[in-house]
Order: sequence, then structure tokens, then C-alpha cells
Amino acid sequence: MKFCGLQDEPLVLTGKTGNALRLSAVSRVAAGIGLTPGLTLADARARIPALIAIESDTDGDTRLLGRLAAWTDRFTPLVSLDGGDGLILDITGCAALFGGEAMLRKSAMIQLKRLGFSTKASVAGTPEAAAALARFSRIAIVAEGGDAAAVAPLPVMALGASTETGLALNRAGLKTVGDLATRPSAALASRFGNDLVRRLARICGLENKRLTPLRPLPQCRAVRRFPEPLINADVLEDSLKHLLGDVFSELERRGEGGLTFEAGFFRSDGEVRRIAVETGRASRDGPLIAKLFAERMAVLADPIDPGFGFDAMTLSVLHTARLDAVQTNLEKDQGENGFSDLIDRLTARFGRERVHSFMPEDTHIPERAARRSGVFSKGSKTAWPQSEPDEPPLRPLQMFNPPQPVDAIAGTPDDPPKAFIWRRVQHRLTAVEGPERIAPEWWRGGETLTRDYYRVEDQAGRRFWIYRRGLYERETPTPQWYLHGLFA
Amino acid sequence: MTRFAEMVAASNYSFLRGASSPQDMVLTALLLGHEGIGIADRNTVSGVVRAYAELTHLREYGVPSGAKRKTGGSPGEFEWVARGEDIPFGQDEIKAKAAAFKLAVGARLVFSDGTPDIVAYPESREGWARLCRLLTVGNRRAKKGNCILHLSDLTADAGGLLLIVILERQMPPDTCMAELAGAAPGSLWLAVTMLRRGDDRRRLATLSKFASRYRLPLIATNDALYAVPEARDLQDVLTCIRSGVTIAAAGRRLQPNAERHLLAPQEMARLFRDAPEIVTESADLLSRIDFTLKQLTYEYPDEPVPPGWKAQAWLEDLTRRCALIRYPKGTPDKVAKLLREELALIGQLKYARYFLTLYDLVRFSESQRILCQGRGSAANSAVCYVIGITSIDPDQHDVLFARFISADRGEPPDIDVDFEHERREEIIQYVYEKYGRHRAGIAATVISYRPRSAIRDAGKALGLTDDVTARIAGLQWGSWGEAIPLDQVRQAGLDPENPIIAKAVEMAGRLLGFPRHLSQHVGGFVLTRGRLDEMVPIGNAAMEERTFIEWDKEDIDALGLMKVDVLALGMLTCIRKALDLMQAHEETPHRLLSDIPQDDCATYDMLCKGDSIGVFQVESRAQINMLPRLKPRNHYDLTVQVAIVRPGPIQGNMVHPYLKRRDDKKEIVFPSPAREHGPSDELHPVLGKTLGVSLFQEQAMRLAIVAAEYTNAEANHLRRAMATFRNVGTIHLHEKRFVGRMIARGYDPVFAQNSFNQIKGFGSYGFPESHAAAFAQLAYISSWIKCHHPAAFACALLNSQPMGFYAPAQIVRDAIEHGVLVRPVDVNESFWDNSLEVDSPGAKPAVRLGFRQIDGFSEEWAAKIVRHRTQPFHDIERLPRVTGVPGRAMRLLSDADAFRSMGLDRREALWAVRRLPADHPLPLFAAAAAQELGVDADAMLPVMQLPEHIVADYQMTRLSLKGHPMQLLRDALRTERILSCAEAGALKDGASVRVAGVVLVRQRPGKGNAIFITLEDETGIVNIVLWARQFEAFRRDVMTARLMVVTGCIQRSKEDVVHLMADHIGERNAALDSLSDTHRTQIELSRADEFAHPQIPRGRHPRDARVVVKSRDFH
Repeated sequence: MKFCGLQDEPLVLTGKTGNALRLSAVSRVAAGIGLTPGLTLADARARIPALIAIESDTDGDTRLLGRLAAWTDRFTPLVSLDGGDGLILDITGCAALFGGEAMLRKSAMIQLKRLGFSTKASVAGTPEAAAALARFSRIAIVAEGGDAAAVAPLPVMALGASTETGLALNRAGLKTVGDLATRPSAALASRFGNDLVRRLARICGLENKRLTPLRPLPQCRAVRRFPEPLINADVLEDSLKHLLGDVFSELERRGEGGLTFEAGFFRSDGEVRRIAVETGRASRDGPLIAKLFAERMAVLADPIDPGFGFDAMTLSVLHTARLDAVQTNLEKDQGENGFSDLIDRLTARFGRERVHSFMPEDTHIPERAARRSGVFSKGSKTAWPQSEPDEPPLRPLQMFNPPQPVDAIAGTPDDPPKAFIWRRVQHRLTAVEGPERIAPEWWRGGETLTRDYYRVEDQAGRRFWIYRRGLYERETPTPQWYLHGLFA
Repeated sequence: MTRFAEMVAASNYSFLRGASSPQDMVLTALLLGHEGIGIADRNTVSGVVRAYAELTHLREYGVPSGAKRKTGGSPGEFEWVARGEDIPFGQDEIKAKAAAFKLAVGARLVFSDGTPDIVAYPESREGWARLCRLLTVGNRRAKKGNCILHLSDLTADAGGLLLIVILERQMPPDTCMAELAGAAPGSLWLAVTMLRRGDDRRRLATLSKFASRYRLPLIATNDALYAVPEARDLQDVLTCIRSGVTIAAAGRRLQPNAERHLLAPQEMARLFRDAPEIVTESADLLSRIDFTLKQLTYEYPDEPVPPGWKAQAWLEDLTRRCALIRYPKGTPDKVAKLLREELALIGQLKYARYFLTLYDLVRFSESQRILCQGRGSAANSAVCYVIGITSIDPDQHDVLFARFISADRGEPPDIDVDFEHERREEIIQYVYEKYGRHRAGIAATVISYRPRSAIRDAGKALGLTDDVTARIAGLQWGSWGEAIPLDQVRQAGLDPENPIIAKAVEMAGRLLGFPRHLSQHVGGFVLTRGRLDEMVPIGNAAMEERTFIEWDKEDIDALGLMKVDVLALGMLTCIRKALDLMQAHEETPHRLLSDIPQDDCATYDMLCKGDSIGVFQVESRAQINMLPRLKPRNHYDLTVQVAIVRPGPIQGNMVHPYLKRRDDKKEIVFPSPAREHGPSDELHPVLGKTLGVSLFQEQAMRLAIVAAEYTNAEANHLRRAMATFRNVGTIHLHEKRFVGRMIARGYDPVFAQNSFNQIKGFGSYGFPESHAAAFAQLAYISSWIKCHHPAAFACALLNSQPMGFYAPAQIVRDAIEHGVLVRPVDVNESFWDNSLEVDSPGAKPAVRLGFRQIDGFSEEWAAKIVRHRTQPFHDIERLPRVTGVPGRAMRLLSDADAFRSMGLDRREALWAVRRLPADHPLPLFAAAAAQELGVDADAMLPVMQLPEHIVADYQMTRLSLKGHPMQLLRDALRTERILSCAEAGALKDGASVRVAGVVLVRQRPGKGNAIFITLEDETGIVNIVLWARQFEAFRRDVMTARLMVVTGCIQRSKEDVVHLMADHIGERNAALDSLSDTHRTQIELSRADEFAHPQIPRGRHPRDARVVVKSRDFH
């Protein structure tokens, strides 16, 4: 993680462990003044009041590491995560492409540095040995068969066993991997379990376990390989439909629907093009998704260039959600579905950032009660306020922004108005109700005056929503009047 | 003028809903011209006594009672501030208004079955009983702090209750209304509130129709949540805290406007101009109420009086019989006379049952061999001594009973009884059993907002992150006024101009003292003759088998109810354990507190040297420094010693004059009035025993009477102004009167002002002689044991942990320095408790450390080991199979180096223990596990070095008998010319020095001008003083150092008390950590360390910070 300009500040990341906020990582400067991970933030603050503390984002860290793992694809396809901050690359057979192990290591470290990461890396015979050496030593490359000797001086913690085991070994006076390696493994196994012995064997290069490769697997995927490269767009569209059919039958079996679909077009010259579409609701609607793809591809800034043709196509469903089969309504009333289909089509055509909807907000302040938001943002937890059954609506659908100043005649302190003038037209009021008193949200600053809202009707039957701004005498000697909305 | 009384008013005892105190609600209603007010909190009556007391106060004095304000972090550091200073009426006007003002007390019943809220007011004493029982039913049905009520609970019997149904948007169903109308005919109202939701008039019409359908009267109210509209923001913050949301996210959970305050009657009339009769209906309802809390007359229980006896006659007979035992050679004349006087007074005030109740508790306690001792003003009596409640012989000491129980006060007597803290529960259960849960209840403690919790909650509600509020809350030192001083905020690295921070700080200031919930008091019992739950609602405590009433001690005092304080004192446990050990191992004859020989010279010699680690009350650094200066030689000196290191005498500038006078008799002069105003020796009887200096609360009172010519009534008033928070409005009057009169009579103005300052000091932190004397007695007894039986003393002290100021390492070290042999924990020798070992008859006993010293070890494991130890264990592998202790126990034992008697050191034992099979083998393998493990090849482990052993000892048992971590670093420190503590302590006054040591205590007492740090090494300790102005520069080192290096200058007093005035402080934790890479050198800070253990007692209301401050030993 990069924090520009904070290199020289005592910076720590914090996380909640149990009930306390503790340091989860410290910067070099912070470590230099004695802060260590595990300390409570309050203690750290007591020591260094000027401490900069930022909440750690473990999910973000994991995502970042995942992205890095994908990035290292360029060196080897066999990558796996090592804890929360390490990657293990199986470079068997790849090193030659980069000019040898040393060059590969160097090139990886240089490129990562350019991306802003400081790294430690070791090359060794087994993943465990490499991981331990990278974390606990400065050894860059271990010659073939030299693993056991290289790891011997490392502390027992390098075995990656539990802290408890590490501490117990230390307390027994066995402090290095070498101390363990020279002892009969039966004595260790009987005390610390076979797991430790196995770890010892692996780190010493006596046993090797293949990596489990890290590959972000789509939820569901279908592939079509073509005997001859395809260029014809119709045929491509056709195969897309087939692919969709494949994934939907799989999704249907699982009772799921897709949310994000990604089509991959593999050109015969190695170029890969990926196009994704999203839906607002989980879907297994083949024609709809196909239409979305078509609309998406129609508006691409740089259209898909078939070149010498595609030799394969994939369709991956990246995100899914529960979707149970429903009986189609005979009356064809599409209701909610129709609305969300419309949104899907609008977003596919115009881009999701151009389509908006209104969300209810939990506040008493009328002009803030609805908020414009993206259509895919999470639904608000707030419900639209429901008026009482058989009651007239309390608030108008249409509101002025800003409210229109009006001149009104009303008695003090909070009598309803008798008449008001708006845009030079006088409205004599025949029916009024109110006040509905709404005080400003004092914690926001800005408005400091309370409003008294009245629902009024003039002699022509027009209904208005007007308010007096400021409580007479309590807040202001001269309250002003505003028209805030029109009832339909 | 419209007749109106707000009948639906919540106070802040509607926890986290109401935003004004009951006192403010009463005062505001009175000033607005209401005819009265009805205080009704949510399912509780816990706030009504405060409202009642406020009204009583207004009637009596014509000014509002004061509010308490914290001035520091330590207990008792607060001052009283006057409220409502801008009242536009004179005192007499207020008195007249208050006399006509009527307070209705009740509760807002909130149901859990969908019934609308109903405010219930008792019409009569019977109604009150009904309400209390109803709430008790709801409380007992729910978990702590909750109340589950159903409509049927109310309608089963609503006799004597006036009910107001609060209608929300939905009208209640007909069945509900019919049930209510049937249960409370003629006593049911429907509340109408102008909600300002836009449809008020329509709603009023609907409600009128609804009411007429049931022929019920409507009553106008504003359903008030606070006194004045300005409290709206605070109420919003409370709502956020209650709902656990930030203010930005609270939305419609908040009130839309600031209208829920008390409204003037004319404003109510204006709002309800469509139906004026429903406004005056409130006054009519109020006039039907014929109940005030004054009617709760108190009756003592009958139990302690045998059938056929009258209480007074029985007490007299009992006193006579007990006197024969106390004074086998005949009651001394002085005592006989005292007994006669006291009994007469007790008879006159009808307190005999109270004394008999206490006597009964003490007798039960003795029958169970539980040590106890009474104290408190009324405990200072010959009767209490004779019947065994106290242990201060009136023949040898002056007791002042009559002075504390005066006939015209009409207050119940005050006696606290301390019991061994580990066995107090037995006494509590005895009380429940004897009087029954329906007649005995523990008082409540109001848990209320303190600076830390206030800023945490207010900050959170305003959306500040935890670390920011933690930073502001971290400013625990220094003054806590109404608001946090801005420069302190700046000091914490925050911008006080930031509007959110400023608002959070302001809100926290206003939140201070607000009640959050009720909890049980530690041991204040209320016992009644009739049903307790007809006097006050009872609720469940968090602890099993505990119930407590809704009122706290302040309320109980205000209503004049009797309470019995069953308190816990750690030192009594310690003394009991020491006496038992002495009896078992040294065959001493001492059984009871009174068996310890008085006035033992060797004991006082020891105290005069300042050798008092572990001793009750005089073991703190400040006390240890005072001992060589005060040189106590008898019980009274010790009483002074206990009382003198307190804010009262310090604020009154009384300490130094007293010490000077002890040194030099020529210094003893008595302030005297001008000749024409009185005899020059008029203060001799008052201040004679304290050499002309006033040190005790009692003396301050006598000064008022003698020197300032206070009448009895005035003195009484002063005493209450001093002791309770209700009278602050009047204390400045006293200052003028007291100081003025003394000066007028020719006293030295400085003396007069100092005397009054001391009274103010006592108000918050006074120490009456009666308490000091009782404490001095325990201080003496513990010193005597320490002096003559140091092994038993150390052993008992360790077994009573946690208590006192010192950590086990320091207690053990002190014992070793007193020639006690201390032996390590061993699986073949130790018990759970530390024990004494006598090698040969008559030899001095040695202390064997017990399994309890091992961190994380359980008492159950210890019991298993001891039970199966018929002969010494030889085989570490067999031990868990024989005893059944789990692997974790074995690991802890081996890490604590407890297998030495088997010939295994820590490392070997750990290696062997790791090999033992898992704790719960599968059945199939159980048989296999029972077989011997195969022979294990010698692992040839490296030998564990001494530093590692010492550090491991510290980590596992928090002490080491093998050495001190500092001795391992000594050579390295020498090369830096850093001296040991002993060397530094031997230097001349003014010498410059560098010392290093592990940190034991850091304190910042009183106003916080200086920080006191105690360092320890293998040679002893050194006391560091760091001025507060230097603190910021060394803050990090002071806060983090476990090993500290201090440069400074030696300051040596003529009593040889040595301090090191620090110029520079540095931490050397790395050196400490370098001693071992497998264990962490864990130096346990003393319990008095204010950084690790903030000295603010948790869970106590500031109002409960007692006038008499108790030691930290109380639990």
C-alpha cells in the first residue's frame, strides 16, 4: 500500500482484535520508535500522540495480492499465495526464458519496485525453503541440493508452524532449523506432531509438494474451439448463444442466475479480447443477455477486430446469485422484471454511469429525503415513507430547488397563512393545515432556522406546500415565507 | 392564568431518552408557572427521589441544589457548582412557589405486548405499593435492566392508580380500552399532544371522538423529554447512543423538531385553544393525587428482637450482658456512663432495632468465623464496642457518639460494617435468607457518564472514529470541568476548532453525570418490616441470586430509610488468613482482632522507619514518606497518620503545621479570639489532641460551633452543605458567615480562611475521625502481624491478592528482606495457596509459594494434584495419569519450573511434558495411552542459562527467587556509570546521579504538578519525582519504559527520605528484552500505577464517591 508523503511519519495500520483496536502493521519510522504490531492503539497513542493511524483493509490487501499474483502470470502460470503477504512462483522450466534464475528474480524485483513495492525474494528447491529464506534470510539463490544447509541457521519460526510450537521449541533450547534437523525425528514427532517433521523435511528439500495454482475460477464457464478461425460476425453471435445456452443449463441446475458475464475472444495470433456485461438482477435469460452483448459490442469505442479470425471463444459467468425458477405470469405483466430489464438495456446502451434512480434517505429534511444514485448501487435500507391509509399525502411529488420566496400574510407566532403572493399572483387560501415543524439538522451546519410547513389550498383549488422559515421571536423577529412544492 | 401541570415528563432516568435531570425538570416547571409536574420515567421510579429532594430543597432554601462536577481523575475530586444562577426570582419567591408546587411521582409503563404506553401515578400510598409491585413483576420477569410488562399485569389490579394512556398514531384496539376502563373506572385519561406533524387539529378532533366513545377525559401534555428546547441536540445524541447509530445515519429515529420541552401554561392554552378544558384537566388530575414520597415511613424489621421483648429493653439487656464479657473486671465508670447516655439517646430516637440488626449480622459473622469491623460516625460508640460491632475500646479512646447522632437531625444512624471480602457473599445470603427477598434488597448504584465514557459515546454518535475519541478520552489527567479545556484537546494533537470535535467535546461535557443504567451497590442493604416491593420496585441484578432496589444510597438517605452497609474489606481477609496460618504453624493464641496486643513498641518502631509494605492504609508511597516524619507511637498517632495524607488537610494547609508541632512542642499554639470575645483557650478542647491543628471533619464542625459561634441548626445545615450535593447553592453563604464571624471574633483571618477551605475540602474528600480510628486499628493489627509474624503476613497477603498497592514480587521481596525464607513453587510441596513450612518445631516458618502464583493455573488442577499426592511424585509421565490434570496444567507447571523435586529443571520438564499424550484420547487409544511411553533417547538439550530462568520465572509467576533481572544487567550498566538504587539512595543531598531500574509505579496525584515514579533493582528502590512541565518531553519514555534510566539530582530530607528529582528520563526496554528470547521480562506494575490502572473506580456514580473515601481494598 502506498501513502504518498507519509514515508517520514510514524504510520501504523490498525485492526480490531477482540475488543481492542490494535496495530496490525507499522511503518519503518514507527517501528524505529518502538511500535510493534499487536500493541493497542490507545497505548501507541499514549506514547506517540502524533501517530498516524489508518484502519487496515484486509480485504483490500487480499485483493491486491490477488492482482499481483495475476500480474506474475508473465513469469509462470504456477503461482500460489503464501500467507497474506507472499507469493510463491514455481519457475521450474521458466527460468531459461528470462536468462536464468538470477535474471528472472532480478527482473521480477525491479518491475515490482517500479510498481511501488519493496520485495524480498529467494530461489530454492522447494516452495517452503524459498518462502522461509525470503522471509528470514538474505540468501538470493540456493544452489541445487543446498537447501538443507541454507535453511539450517534460520530460526525455528521459519518452519511456519504455530507460534505455540515455535515458542515451545525455543524454550527447549532448539532455536534454529539446524538444531531440529540434527535431532531424531521421532522425538520431535512425539512432541510436536508429524506436521512439524513434515515441514522440516520440506524446508530442508527432502520432500517436495506441488503448488496448488492460484487461478481465479469463474463460477461457471463454457468453451468453444473452432477447427477453423472464424471471422463471420453472425457465426460468432451464434456461438455466443450456444455458449450462453451451455452456461444457463449449468446455472439452472444450480438454481442460480448470472450477474456478470464475460465473453472471451481468442484470436489465432494470441491476442485475447474480453467483453463483459452486467445485469441488475440475476438472470438466465439467454436472448436478453445476447441482446446486452450485442448492444455492448455495438457501442465499443474500439470494435472487436477479428484479424485472422478467432480460434476459440469462452463465456464465463463471474458472479452469480440465487435465482429460482418462476412460473411466467400469463398476463405478461412484467412489473419489477420489466423495470429491471429496462435498466439493464439502458445501462448496456449508455453505460452504467449514465443511468440514475432515486433512493429514499432517512431524514426529516424534505429536500434531502430522496437522493440520486447509480442504478446498481446497493439498495437503500430506508423505505419510502408510507403515508397513513386514507390520509392525503403529506409531501408533494414536485419540489422547487431552491424553494421560491413568497410573501405571505399570517398571524404570529405560528398561525397558518391566509394568503400569499407568488410570482406576482395572489393566492387567497381557503383551506390550510399545519404546521408541520421541521428543525434543521444541527450537526450539518448551514441552515439554523426551523421551518413550519403548511399544506394549503387556494380558491382555485390549487394546492401548495409552503413554509415559514424561522420560529417567530424564538429564532428570528421576521420569519420569511417560501413555496417549497406543488401538490398534484 | 391557565391552570396547567405537565403530567407526562420524562427525566434522564428514562435512560438515554430523557435529556434533562429530574431536578431540572422540577425547577423549570416551577419557574414556568406549572401547578406541579408528574415525573414518569420508562418502567422505573429511579429518578423520582431526586425530583422530590429537589422540591424539598427549593421549599427549604429557595435556591436549587448544586450539581457535582469532577475536577480530577481520582475519587472524590469534584466540586459543587450552583445551578440556575440566573433565576429571575428571589429566594422567598421561590420558597413560596415551591410550597404551592406539587410533585406527582409515577412511571411510564411501556408494555411488551403492543399496548400503548400508560403513565401511572399513585393516588395514595396503596397506589404506590401497587405501582412498585407491578414494576417488580416486570423487572423480575426480565433480565437485568429490562422490564417486561403485559397489559394484564396492570389490569389485574389498578387500584389506587391514575392512568394516562399515551396515544400514538394508531388508536388502541377496543378490547384494550375496554379492559383498561374496567380496571380503572374513573381513573383513566387519554393524553393529547400537539405533535407538530401537520395534522394536529384533525388529530385532536379524532381523539375527541375516540375519547367520547369511551366517555374518557382528554388531558393535554407535551410528552416532555427535556426541560428547555436547547436540549434537543443532546436528546438527539442520546437517541443515537441508544440506537447505536451516528447522527448522520439516525434519520427519522430523531425527533423532527425541538418541541418536546416543558411548555408554559399560556403556550399550552394557545396550542389547545380548540379545547381549553383539556389543559385544565391536567391540574384536576394533579389535585386528585394525594401521595408524596414523604408517606414512605420506614419501619425496622422485628427479627432481631426475641418474642416478648421490646427492642429497647432487649438492647439494654444485651448491652449489660455483653459488658460483663468485655470487662470481666467490671465496667469502667467512664464506659458505664457512656453506655447510659447512649442507650438513653437510642431509646429516644427509637434506633434500638437498628443496632440489634447490626448485632445480629456481627454475631452471625462471628459464628462463621468471618472477621468484621464496624465503622462510621454512629459506630463510634460504647454500645457498639460492647456488643462487638467495633473494636475501639471507649475506655482507651474518646468516642463521640452523641456528637454524630443528634436528636434534632432525625436522620438514620450510619454504621458501615466491613467483612472479609472473600466471604462477604455468605453474609449477603444470610440477610436474604433471614429477611426474605421480599423484605431485603441491595441498594442500586447509578452508573452514569464519566469523562471517558461521555466522550466515547458522544464522539461515536457524532461520527468521530474510535481512535480520535480514544485520544480525547486519553486526556484523563487534569481538570474535568463542564467541558474539556481546549488546550488539552490541542495537546492530544486534535484541532479544537474542528466543529465536530468541538461539538463532541461540548456534548460530552453536557452528558457528564447523566445516568446510563442502574447497577447494584456493593453492599448497602435496605431491610423492611413489611413488603419491600411495596416501597420500591425490585429488579434482577446481573449476578445470580441477587436482587436490587431501584434507589441508590443518595435516594435512601433523602427518604430517611435505614440501610445496613455490608461491605467487603480485603485486609480483613488477609488478617483472617494470617491469624489462621499463625495458629496452625506457630501455635499462637490470637483468634480475633481484639486478641492482638495493643501499643506494641516494636510494631511502632517498624512503622516509624517507614517499613510498611503491605500494611493496611499506610502502605502507599506518600504514607511511607510520611511515617518517618510523623513517627506514630500510639493508636491516635496512627489515626492521624491515616487521615493526614488526604486532600482535605492538604487543601486546608494543615499538614505542615501539624508535623512542625510534633517535632517541636514550642510550635504548639492555639488560635484564639480577641479577649473580649471569649477565653483564649476556647479551642483547646476542640484541637487539643491534634496539637492545635484541625485535621478531622469533626473538628471542622466543632470549630464552626465554638469559634464561629454557629447555632446547632446552623451547624447542622453546614454539615449537610458539606456532606451532600443538595446544598451547594448555600455554601457560599456559609463561607461569608463562617470566616466573617471568626474574624469578627478576633481570629487570624488566615486561620479562618484555611479552616473554611478545609471544610470545602472535606465536603468532597473528608475523613472523619471515626473512620480514621477504625482504619488505624486495622493498620495497627496488620503492622503487628507483619512485625512479629512476617512469614504468615506475606503468605496471607499473597493469598488475598489482588489487594493493596503492591505486586507479589514486591511482597515476596519485602518478606525476604525481613528474614523470611521463601521457597519456589514445586509440584511435590505446593498447595493452591501459598503456605507455611516449619522444618522443625519452633523454627521460623518458611513461605512455600503456591500454585496460585502461576499465571493461568486453575484451582481445580491444584486440588487434583494435592488430593493424589499421598507420596511424592517421581515420574513426570505418570503424574497426569494419576492426578488427571490436563496437558496445559503440566506445561504451565514445567514452565514455572515446578518439577525440581523430581530432578528436572524447567527445560527438561518442558521437553518431557510435551511428549505426554493428548488430554482426551479416543476410547480406542485410552488403553494404549495407559501403557508406559517408550524409552525416549536423551535429547541432549542445551542447558538453560540463569538469565533465561529469571526471566521465565517473572513471566510465569511474576517473581523470581533466583535473582533480579537488573543484576544481570549490572555489569553493562556499570560501564555507563549508572548506579544501583541503593547506591543512589546513599548519596548526599544535591548529588547528581544516574540510576536505572524496572518501573513499579507511576502516579500523578492531586492536581498533577508532579509525576512520581518508583524504580526497583536488585538492591532496592528509588523514588523519582518528575515535574509535570517536563513530562511532555519524556512522555513516551515514561509511558513505555519497563526499564528506565533516570538522570537527576538527589533530594534528601532531614528524616532521610530520599527523592531523585529527574532531569532526564530514558527507556531501556531493549536491554530487558535481550535477557531472554523465549520469555518476556514481565515486571508487574503495582496496582497503584495510574497508567496501567486508571484510578477512577468504574461503575460508581460521582455522587457516590463517598464523603468518606474508602481505601482501594473495597470490593
